[in-house]
Amino acid sequence: MTTLATLRAEAELLARQLPDLSLQAEAADLVHPGAAGRKRAGSGEQFWQYRHYAQTDAADRIDWRRSARSDDYFVRETELETARTLLFWADPNAGFDWRGDEDRPSKMERAHVLMLALGILSSKNGERIGVLNGPRPAALGKTAPNRLAEDLFESRSDSLNPPKSTALAIVASDYYDPIPDWRARLAPLAAKCRHGVLLCVSDPIEHAFPYSGRTKFSRPGSVTERLFGRAEQVREDYLARLEAQRAELSALAIQMGWALVTHRTDEDALRGAATLLQALEQFGGKA
Amino acid sequence: MTLGPLLFGAPLALIGLIALPIIWFVLRATPPRPKDAELPSLRLLDGIEPKEETPDKTPWWLLLLRLTAAALAILGLSLPLYAPGAQSGTDASGPVLIVIDDGWTSAERWSEIRSAALTALDGEDRDTPAHILLTAPRNLNVDPSEPFARSDFDARIRSLEPQAWRIDRDEALNRLNASGLQPARILYVTDGLDPETATLFTRALAVKAPLSIYAAPPRGPVAITALQASADGVAVTVRRADDREPSGHFVSALTLDGSALATSEAIFAANEKETVATFSLPPAALSRIARFQVTGSASPGTVWLWDSAERSRRIGLVSGDSTAQPLLSDMHYIRRALEPFASISEGNLITLIADNPDAIILTDIGQIDPSVRDAVTEWVEDGGALIRFAGPRMASAGDTLVPAPLRRASRSIGGALTWETPQTLGGFPETSPFAGLSPPEDIRVRQQVLARPSAELARRTWARLADGSPLVTADQRGQGTLILFHVTAGPDWSDLPYSGLFVDMLRRSIAAGKGEAVADAEGLYTPLLTLNGRGQLEPASAGATPLRASDFGVTEPSEIHPPGLYQGPSGTRALNTAVDDRPVLTEDWPASATLLGEAQAQSLRLAGPLLAIAGLILVVDLLIALAIAGQFNRRRQSIAAAAMVTITSYAMLQTPAAEAQSFRFDPPGGNTEQEVLPKDVDAALNMRLAYIETGDASTDRRTREGLNGVTLTLFRRTSVEPAEPHAVNAETDALDVYPILFLSLPDTPQRLSETAIARLNAYMRGGGTLFIDTRAGGTIGQSGFDGLSDILPGLDTPQLQPTPKDHVLSKSFYLLSSFPGRYSARPLWIEATSSTNRSERRGDGVSRLLVTDADYVSAWAIDDRGRALYSVDGGDEQREMALRFGVNLIMYVLTGNYKEDQVHIPALLERLGEEGGVGDFERDSDPRSLDALPPTGLPEIDQ
Repeated sequence: MTTLATLRAEAELLARQLPDLSLQAEAADLVHPGAAGRKRAGSGEQFWQYRHYAQTDAADRIDWRRSARSDDYFVRETELETARTLLFWADPNAGFDWRGDEDRPSKMERAHVLMLALGILSSKNGERIGVLNGPRPAALGKTAPNRLAEDLFESRSDSLNPPKSTALAIVASDYYDPIPDWRARLAPLAAKCRHGVLLCVSDPIEHAFPYSGRTKFSRPGSVTERLFGRAEQVREDYLARLEAQRAELSALAIQMGWALVTHRTDEDALRGAATLLQALEQFGGKA
Repeated sequence: MTLGPLLFGAPLALIGLIALPIIWFVLRATPPRPKDAELPSLRLLDGIEPKEETPDKTPWWLLLLRLTAAALAILGLSLPLYAPGAQSGTDASGPVLIVIDDGWTSAERWSEIRSAALTALDGEDRDTPAHILLTAPRNLNVDPSEPFARSDFDARIRSLEPQAWRIDRDEALNRLNASGLQPARILYVTDGLDPETATLFTRALAVKAPLSIYAAPPRGPVAITALQASADGVAVTVRRADDREPSGHFVSALTLDGSALATSEAIFAANEKETVATFSLPPAALSRIARFQVTGSASPGTVWLWDSAERSRRIGLVSGDSTAQPLLSDMHYIRRALEPFASISEGNLITLIADNPDAIILTDIGQIDPSVRDAVTEWVEDGGALIRFAGPRMASAGDTLVPAPLRRASRSIGGALTWETPQTLGGFPETSPFAGLSPPEDIRVRQQVLARPSAELARRTWARLADGSPLVTADQRGQGTLILFHVTAGPDWSDLPYSGLFVDMLRRSIAAGKGEAVADAEGLYTPLLTLNGRGQLEPASAGATPLRASDFGVTEPSEIHPPGLYQGPSGTRALNTAVDDRPVLTEDWPASATLLGEAQAQSLRLAGPLLAIAGLILVVDLLIALAIAGQFNRRRQSIAAAAMVTITSYAMLQTPAAEAQSFRFDPPGGNTEQEVLPKDVDAALNMRLAYIETGDASTDRRTREGLNGVTLTLFRRTSVEPAEPHAVNAETDALDVYPILFLSLPDTPQRLSETAIARLNAYMRGGGTLFIDTRAGGTIGQSGFDGLSDILPGLDTPQLQPTPKDHVLSKSFYLLSSFPGRYSARPLWIEATSSTNRSERRGDGVSRLLVTDADYVSAWAIDDRGRALYSVDGGDEQREMALRFGVNLIMYVLTGNYKEDQVHIPALLERLGEEGGVGDFERDSDPRSLDALPPTGLPEIDQ
């Protein structure tokens, strides 16, 4: 079982191997990722410029210290700063927290690692990170990765309620429930968040279906049981269904304007993290 | 319940067999457990119906397996018993009496007898009591009236052991009659021997109740019944009862601790009940034999204990002369000749005759005292052997106790005044006991007494000289024998006592007499070792009581006098089990009795095996079920993983230790974990260098480090693997165990004590080498050896010289041109070889003393990690040279001038030639080519 510490360590390792997220200059400029200065006046903490007092300005905005040095009145302006918010959500379903082999991490663990790695990267660039519907709001700063890790680890929220303000949502699951169900669940979120990523993590066993003979299947987290006299006979059907499910999921993502990132737990975590990063940057470019 | 030869202890359990079809039906209807599999993506399969849902049936072979297990379990629970000989259809009439012969004759087939007895209650009612009657007499025997329940009976029979003495059926019958038992049925398990008593006994039993008899007579040899010892061997008589088939067996002669000295074959022809196994053994081996045993037999009857009384002859010695020179005394030669084979006692004739030995030997007694002559004559006529040796006294005056009348003078052959030469032995007549001995050529007889010629003389002669005159004559006197050697027992008259022939002749002469060994009729013999019923010797039991000497040969072994070895005043005496036993098979059983065959008397309890097999099948079934349900794969993986982890972690644990070891310099004996030996023992066990403690701590440490360096270098480069150097105190420690002692002097050396100097002198005289390094070579303006005589006053210094260039030190391992130490070009003084002549050279020419001031130990010194400690004049190259000198030095000390040998000269010359361009001789390792070389080029060659 992955502990918080190992989760954090793995994510740090991944984050260190990935290129810096917000150094993608053009993208950053366009989508305002992070609390970077927007190189124009606005609400922010950093000084931007003094400008001449205009009639429309309120009197208390005059910077008297500057104005005293000349005959004109000056208004002090700060630089516009915006911070984007990345919200993460992992499916708390027992079927998602499942591994096909003792040697592999469970799908949820892998999703956590990938999302935390992205979170650490983003946090370094001054963006707010947090857990969707988590116990704590999204936060900035050095402690944010810690909080994200803890919240990811502890949050078992099943709901996908949209956040109050717009954010970039990363929703991880295995998406084995029927796609219409998912569409209904994701619709409010998609309405609020223009951009997001559907992170679909699966176990290799779910792709291989290596069963034969008389087999009793059960679904983790539910009491559903199905007995197949000869499991090898349903394999083709199963694989066809799986493919169809993926196609539908992909269609759903496009429809929502989100990206779909698929990952298998037997793949390298770095590869998954890179794919996820690429998807996020793609958003930066588009917006 | 009975079913053919099968009895069922709990027949009701068989009803369970009816359940088998039901079990079959149920098992058939129950499919095997499906494999379990978790699959989160199971929802994808919603709505998919399997095309073909064939109900998976239990395979027929698994069904069969389970049914077999069930059937076996039911059968096992019914307590079946395979007993072909059981009395079927009994009507629970009453108690059963089991009579068992538990004497020594039963020992060989005891396990069969016991299992036959165990079948007695088979087929009887649960509550039928059993009574046991044992026929071997004992003090506390089983009371035949005591009833045994079934379980007690089993335990009782299993704990029975055969006794080592004879059975007494009459006594057993009396006991049975006295108990007043009225059995309903009698089973007699007998050894089948001794028809005289057996017939009567069985008839008496048959009268009481229906009788079945199981007879288990010994198959092989029954007993060793007699033993005949002769002069050069032993004949063991073996008897058997069953004489139908020819058979061969082996008899072993064993020492007291059980090692076999010899084995002989005892072959019975058909219809032969008795055979003899003969052992031809050298007398010394004979004297070590303690018992004979038929190999592979576990019966006390097939063991014959050979006591010391039987083993050795008893001889009395009476000497006519008493000489001050024991090596010239006649008695000495006789004593030495006979000691290994006979117990010898000395004394006057009267006491000796009272002892009644096998033979009495008289040396040169001319006339036996008339007062004892009658007693002697009587003793001889009773079967004693009187052996007399001639001598001057007999030559002058004889008596009548001689085999042939003698002339009144001795004949001297080969003296200064005779023409004759000393005579050799001529040979032994066919009738003589000596026939077969071969006389050595080199025996000369110089003097003898002569018998008067008579017609009888030729018949009485046992040995002749080459000229035909008798050397040994003998005559029967009553049952005994008179034997006369016509020479002395000492070497005065002949060489005969010097030869081995003398021993053989004496032993064969003694064998002529047969004294009865009843020396001490009053002596008590206490039991020392007794034979148990299995024919094994064990410490005497508490019940065994002492036996008087006169009772041996009369007493039958019994519980109070078990067979075995008895310790008494004159050695040990044996009481054997089967003395003169004549085993006869009983054929005549009462007509009314049922004779049980081999198979009928055995029974087999099947419940245990059946249940065990059923259990085993169930385990197999469980494994199969697990395999079918797919539980195995996962388990196997985890087991493999666990094994892997174990192995890996073990390897991880091992590796650092192994690596650490490879870095450490760890010569043998240096291991501190070993038992700490005394220093000198340790030094004697492992070759090592040593240095003399000077009392200056820093110098001593430096010396130790230097010796460590040399030791390590030797260890790495050569086959010399010294242990860790020792520091020795020249005054107290043993010095001789070290090949070389280093003495490196501190800057301000202390004078060594006189004791130390004396011991160092002794060390050098004893072959040791002392290496003195004043370490003063670097001091400017000073001879390095100033004050050496002050420090070592009185050191026994040989004449020294600077080491010559071609000294063996320069080539004992490395070829060196100089011997640099920390300081280069310092002289190395060595014992001068030219001044001493060769005979004085000791220790293979190794110098006793080497003196230098080049401070070698500093050049050699290394720290714990093998790094050099001190600077050296010429840098690392000179340090290497110094180390090479160290190697050469130790090689020189250990091997001496070995390298001066010619063998290596071709190679040495070749290398010298290459370096100096001296010669272009052929590169030929053939040493013959050396002959062609000019002798001047050769170093000194040691012969």
